[in-house]
Amino acid sequence: MRTRAVLTSIFASAGVLVVGWQLGAATAAHNTALTTLTTSKTTGSPASSATVGAKATPTATASASASAAAPAAAAPATAAPAAAAPASSKDGTWQGSTIQTPFGNVQVQVTIAGGKITDVTPLQMTGPDGHSTRIDNQAVPMLLQEVLSAQSANVSSIGGATYTSDGYLQSLQAALSQAGF
Amino acid sequence: MAHVFDTMGTVVTLISTAERATLASVEDVFREADARFSLYRPDSELSRIAAGDLTLMNSSSELRSTYAAALDWRHKTDGIFTPNRPDGVVDLNGIVKAQAIRDAGTVLEHAGCRDFCLNVGGDILVSGVQPDGASWTVGLVDPSNPKMLVCSIVLEGSRRAVATSGSAERGDHIWLGGSTGPAEFVQASVVADDIVTADVLATAIIAGGRATLDDITSRWDVDVLTVDRAGELLATPGLRQALAA
Repeated sequence: MRTRAVLTSIFASAGVLVVGWQLGAATAAHNTALTTLTTSKTTGSPASSATVGAKATPTATASASASAAAPAAAAPATAAPAAAAPASSKDGTWQGSTIQTPFGNVQVQVTIAGGKITDVTPLQMTGPDGHSTRIDNQAVPMLLQEVLSAQSANVSSIGGATYTSDGYLQSLQAALSQAGF
Repeated sequence: MAHVFDTMGTVVTLISTAERATLASVEDVFREADARFSLYRPDSELSRIAAGDLTLMNSSSELRSTYAAALDWRHKTDGIFTPNRPDGVVDLNGIVKAQAIRDAGTVLEHAGCRDFCLNVGGDILVSGVQPDGASWTVGLVDPSNPKMLVCSIVLEGSRRAVATSGSAERGDHIWLGGSTGPAEFVQASVVADDIVTADVLATAIIAGGRATLDDITSRWDVDVLTVDRAGELLATPGLRQALAA
């Protein structure tokens, strides 16, 4: 039920009905896992339904196909994972295949701990404007300390905005040139 | 060997093993772009269009295709990047230099130069490796202290280009689409597989701020480092990984 609740909330809120993910090599015993998701029709949103077949193979590759996807407003979704996953040897973080939907690409990452899904992270999503969104590439703060070691790096070339290039950069390049660099 | 020359109001440094004839062809690429597109040259084709002496309809195919490319980028960036200045002048500065770098890179490749580093006023395109076999490493200038680097990154694999835009001293460098406030970021560097994408997106991030940054990192396969007015850094995971040790 934990699995089901997590999946339901993620899918319903994001309007993502389609997902395939990789199951580890340990799934040889369950070499076919089929997940079926259906949405009920809600007021004000078009009828929608989606079915996904996520086929897990012992080689840890996954394939999935999407027959339909629903708009972002889709509401109550029920998730029914067909294959129970008691094996804790599946523990780890798995990235699903990228699924193409009429609204863009969808990809999620699932974290399994103790044989249970503990986290589902959308890597690619489809925004309300139809733009596919890669959440994992967001720029986040970086501390200056993290880059301080780079000061000593032996650089081949110096990049910078035009205004910084006016004096310093050009002279530096000329100096590099003089040095036969 | 490094070959240095002036063009487009800036300096080009090319580290390569290119022959003299190839170097001349590379210089020609920049000279022709400068002659055609520079608005500071009253006799350039773009200046004649700005002055009303020539219509876009009757302009060269090179100019029209560049304008079309710029309009395509305007569309892709939801209007953040635009070649249309508020005063009505078509300004292709935002894309011309990067296109020239790209074309110069093509000249070098066709001449059989597999390894080179082409730096045009701080925007860089590399190919292959350094003469000693090491990957090309690019230092990015700290906008608050140009004598320092904010970081150095390694360009490997398909990652061949890094472009940087700034908003500081030159207020006229980038138009901040309608807003009169200061730019959120003083510097944005974009690492990409091609120099035109890197340059256009760096410009767009300066113009559009955080919202544009997040949009771009979610829709393009690029890595970004920004420096804001307080000197704080934002970096994508890929850029963090590319930091030189």
